[in-house]
Amino acid sequence: MAADKKTKLLARQLFKLSLADGQVSAEQISGVLGWVNKHSPRRPLALLQLYQRLITTELARSQAVVTHAGPLGAGMLAQIEKAMTLKYSRPVTATAAPDSSLLAGIRVRVGDDIYESSAASQLASLSA
Amino acid sequence: MSNVIEQIEQQIAKLSTKAVKKNTGHIRTVADGVAKVDGLSDVMYNEMVQFPGGTIGIALNLEQDEVGCVVLGDVSQLKEGDEVTTTGKLLSVPVGRALLGRVVDALGRPIDGKGPIASTEFYPVEKIAPGVMSRKSVNQPLFTGIMAIDSMIPIGRGQRELIIGDRGTGKTTICLDTIINQARINKVGLASGDKNFRPVYSIYVAVGQKQSNVVRTIAALEAADALQYTIIVAATAGDNPANQYIAPFSGAAIGEWFMENGQDALIVYDDLSKHAVAYRQISLILKRPSGREAYPGDVFYLHSRLLERAARLDGKGSLTALPVIETQAGDVSAYIPTNVISITDGQIFLETDLFNQGIRPAVSVGLSVSRVGSSAQIKVTKQVGGKLKGELAQFRELAAFAQFGSDLDAKTKATLDRGARIVELFKQPQLNPLSIEVQASILWTLQKGYFDSVEVKSVVNASNSLRDFLITRKDALLTTIRTKAALSPEIEADLKAAADEWKATFAAKG
Repeated sequence: MAADKKTKLLARQLFKLSLADGQVSAEQISGVLGWVNKHSPRRPLALLQLYQRLITTELARSQAVVTHAGPLGAGMLAQIEKAMTLKYSRPVTATAAPDSSLLAGIRVRVGDDIYESSAASQLASLSA
Repeated sequence: MSNVIEQIEQQIAKLSTKAVKKNTGHIRTVADGVAKVDGLSDVMYNEMVQFPGGTIGIALNLEQDEVGCVVLGDVSQLKEGDEVTTTGKLLSVPVGRALLGRVVDALGRPIDGKGPIASTEFYPVEKIAPGVMSRKSVNQPLFTGIMAIDSMIPIGRGQRELIIGDRGTGKTTICLDTIINQARINKVGLASGDKNFRPVYSIYVAVGQKQSNVVRTIAALEAADALQYTIIVAATAGDNPANQYIAPFSGAAIGEWFMENGQDALIVYDDLSKHAVAYRQISLILKRPSGREAYPGDVFYLHSRLLERAARLDGKGSLTALPVIETQAGDVSAYIPTNVISITDGQIFLETDLFNQGIRPAVSVGLSVSRVGSSAQIKVTKQVGGKLKGELAQFRELAAFAQFGSDLDAKTKATLDRGARIVELFKQPQLNPLSIEVQASILWTLQKGYFDSVEVKSVVNASNSLRDFLITRKDALLTTIRTKAALSPEIEADLKAAADEWKATFAAKG
């Protein structure tokens, strides 16, 4: 069921309450979930789905998923973490995800942004 | 062999190893040609976005937690969760002379099977209209080739003249006549070698029309050898509403190229009623608030920003717009007709009753007006057609009264006779525009009373006979009228001699 305006507003309020110092806090989230359990607001399913999406989006913004083909050089993840933390002015943690379909190179995803430096994407741009 | 290696090396050198940043999102829902997308946090309003499979979309609704994109292509391949990427570009279409003679879709891609279009320049589809300082007043004529219009409702280069009427009253025919007439004038002008001659290129934008109608239009233009000066932008009824919404703006961008490059262009939007309907459909799906007749609040701005792009630029060229509006049962006071009437510089109103009476083109002289065109009218047309509108208005008024009584004084009878002949004279077969010099000669003959002795029912025959006589036997006189663009005593004497000669032959035949 699609969320109505009131549900969207409440989900955003709950999301704001889930942050501590601009970061998603596990403690705050459990508090929010406890409140939802206790007060059973309207359209709980739509509310929780929306809330989950907001939290997931926020978490993705603090996470750099480094997709790579072939071995990742030592210290590469740490370098990416440092560079992204500087770029986004927020702590970003990097995780590696091997993917041979890239052929060579890496792809870093932080939230909605993708930094592409892979052979697969260059071949795709050539064929376009 | 070394060449091949070099080629590969060059290709490798082109491939930068620098990381490319893309902003992405994921489709949450797709319905009726509109995709709601999560993410796309960096997307700009009206930015082109790319869906899987190369399908293009435009970001139209930027909301707090989602982006509404209209899909300009096949939506059947898209599904929930598909990745969408921003392109960093506003929607653009290819422009330039390479498009002449071609039929393209709303995105400027060829659909006529004549191969790719060799165009290197692109113009954005949405562009702010030229400002006040860069414009120049309209004072150059654009001849439609239709006597009733050129003599009474003249159109100038850079003007926006609305063509409005019920379905089947000949709106598209007037537009096609005008396009064909431009092609004929272009051919004569370019062949003459006159350095000051400025050809007019035409763009015909078909919005929401039946494909068979578009095919008929293309065939008519090809038959008249006018397609070489024309570009057709087609977003037919089978296209999705997003393409129908974009098509007039794409056409305007193509026309702007001619204007910006010191050339003159004519653009026909056929028609804006269907364009408004397509926009209403998109807006309702995007859940934008609806207003009168369920049109969104910005439907006026939709058409005003489109039509404001037609202009005559100082030191550059011009873009003349002929928007078409279809009315329901002659109701010009409906929402979209009144909007477009207020935006344009005049309207040509076509009446069903006149059409059914056989008066074609069915131009209603009383309701039609050209607000800026009279300053663009050439002297010869003013000399021979200046009083026509008044005479016809007087005729209509007297004809209404004359129905109630049979006793009429001589003056009233003369006015009625003259009016009936003018009405007959303005009848013109479709796709057969007349050059301005022929029009002027025929109207001069009318003003001098040469048609007074011709029976009303024979006026059309007489007019055709005079036209053929002038074209075949008095070519030098017509050329003089065209080049001088005014009637001097010498030209009038030549015209009189020609008219006397024609009258003698016509009377002998008759």
